Amino acid sequence: MSMIKTENLTKIYSGGTKAVDNLNIEIEEAEIYGLLGKNGAGKTTTIKMLTTAIEPTSGNAIIDGYDLKRDKEKIRRIIGVVPQDLTTDADLKGIENLRMIAAFYNIPRSDADKRIKDLLDIVDLSDWGDRYVSQYSGGMRKRLELICGLVNSPKILFLDEPTLGLDVNTRSKMWKYIKDIQKELGVTIILTSHYLEEVDQLADRISIIDHGRILITGTPESLKASLKGDVITMEFQSKEEADLARAYPGALNASLAGNSKVRMKVENSDTELPKILSYLMERNVSPLTINVKKPSLDEVFLEYTGSTIDDDIDPEQFRRMMQNVRRLR
Amino acid sequence: MSGLAPLTVREIKKWYRNPVYLIVGLLQPVFWIILFGSAFDISKFGGPFVSSFFDGAPDYITYMIGGILTITGLFTGMFSGINIIWDRRLGILQRFLVSPIKRSSIVFSRIIASVVRIIVQVVILIAIALIIPDGLKISHSFTIVDALLMVAAVLMISFIFSSIFSIIAIRMTRMETIMGITNLVNLPLMFASYALFPPDLMVSWLSDVAKYNPVSWSAESIRLLIIYGNLSGSQMSTFASYMIYLFILTVIMILLVYFVSESGIKE
Ligand SMILES: Nc1ncnc2c1ncn2[C@@H]1O[C@H](COP(=O)(O)OP(=O)(O)O)[C@@H](O)[C@H]1O
Ligand SMILES: [Mg+2]
Repeated sequence: MSMIKTENLTKIYSGGTKAVDNLNIEIEEAEIYGLLGKNGAGKTTTIKMLTTAIEPTSGNAIIDGYDLKRDKEKIRRIIGVVPQDLTTDADLKGIENLRMIAAFYNIPRSDADKRIKDLLDIVDLSDWGDRYVSQYSGGMRKRLELICGLVNSPKILFLDEPTLGLDVNTRSKMWKYIKDIQKELGVTIILTSHYLEEVDQLADRISIIDHGRILITGTPESLKASLKGDVITMEFQSKEEADLARAYPGALNASLAGNSKVRMKVENSDTELPKILSYLMERNVSPLTINVKKPSLDEVFLEYTGSTIDDDIDPEQFRRMMQNVRRLR
Repeated sequence: MSGLAPLTVREIKKWYRNPVYLIVGLLQPVFWIILFGSAFDISKFGGPFVSSFFDGAPDYITYMIGGILTITGLFTGMFSGINIIWDRRLGILQRFLVSPIKRSSIVFSRIIASVVRIIVQVVILIAIALIIPDGLKISHSFTIVDALLMVAAVLMISFIFSSIFSIIAIRMTRMETIMGITNLVNLPLMFASYALFPPDLMVSWLSDVAKYNPVSWSAESIRLLIIYGNLSGSQMSTFASYMIYLFILTVIMILLVYFVSESGIKE
């Protein structure tokens, strides 16, 4: 049985924005599921609906057997949430924030303290539990947020942009923590991100979301494979040479890219490139430059959404993001 | 009610760790006590005749302390609303909303913490009023029962104000709005009441309005206890009716906060 299954989940905000549009996804137990999409694609709205923070306009979801519309209270007990915005109180100590959350779930104090100690250990914050959150660095604050979602030993953990606003180093450390958590606690993780590398690194399965709709779902490998083939780009001295190369019979397709440039797709560049070179040599042509590109999620994303991921940021998102960044400093 | 205790503890912790809140809450009433309390000398107007206008208070500070304490509740109550908006703006509210706690405990915790703050401020203010020269003169027949009744009056009025401001804040995202509303209502609430002036000094429409103002109910109840301690029959019935009004309004507020926040508190 799947852990989460949505049925035409839809959210239309009061302003009329259709943020999530008949979403149907299915998430398996103990997997890391990545929701990849640009800013404004509807990731946060999806997470907020699935975590009972906002009401869907229509549609429903079944979460570990519970009905999202009817069993909110029960769902809240078995999920852990790390929202996109910071939720810890900077005026309290790390441990006080965690204890307050434990009290929300009526966890007895001694059990809670044991759990909190373990969690602080996992994210290397043991020495910081007794310090005020206002003294934490941005990365530490995000780590604290991460374990805030784990206090109640949830079956499902929702992570909304867990590395938003962090620098590259801190981000890859965060990935390690997330992987450790999945391994040690066996929890199902739903992760949203607009960083391709992040979902590529972490997720077992990915869905690409755009304008509130799922465009494609699969493992990172299968998505890349679905693009079929590597792209080889070669530059020549003249258009005549380029035309000669374009006629190479082993290409899936080939086209001129610029005056004396050829872009061709081949099944597998490792075996095809030597053949191309000897084909050209026989005709006394040699390329000036050769570039080989194996498919990456970048291309997958481009293929399905028609734009690259770091395109246009919508202003409201940007404002919130900056607010977050400021608070992370 | 699940979530109420940890959320209330959080509010109180934040408050006592930051003395600025306490100082800000005390600043204005202390000025009032020191300036107004000693600036107006009832006896200058001449004898027991004028004093009778002021419920028989020996001096103005003794007359108005009930009003000052009530207004302190009004101002401090505003912060329970502000704190709700603050949590929403920072994103902290999102954590509460996805936790298995009663939605209304998010609001009730603010109100309870606010009432605690007000009680502490009231105790400090009374102490200040007592120690300053020519300060507050509490009746000789004032007993522990009177003290408890006074606390009950303060408790109810601060609960009422904190609830009003919290209900306003339940759907609000802007701090400025609640401050604007507060500024709009504070002065009329204060002056259209028996907090600072006795009804006999008011034009009749104003004293009619003031009769229905909860600020009057609380100010008068506290005042009667402080000036007389041991209440006579007619004083007792006035006092009892004000306390009953306060009680009924408190119950209405509890129900209102519960229903509005259970269904209405949103991110
Ligand atoms: N509270 C809101 N009211 C109105 N529109 C909103 C609200 N929150 C988000 N939106 C809009 O819904 C769309 C999806 O937003 P969001 O779910 O935050 O996307 P993402 O998390 O993928 O960046 C955007 O167009 C955004 O502007
Ligand atoms: Mg988002």
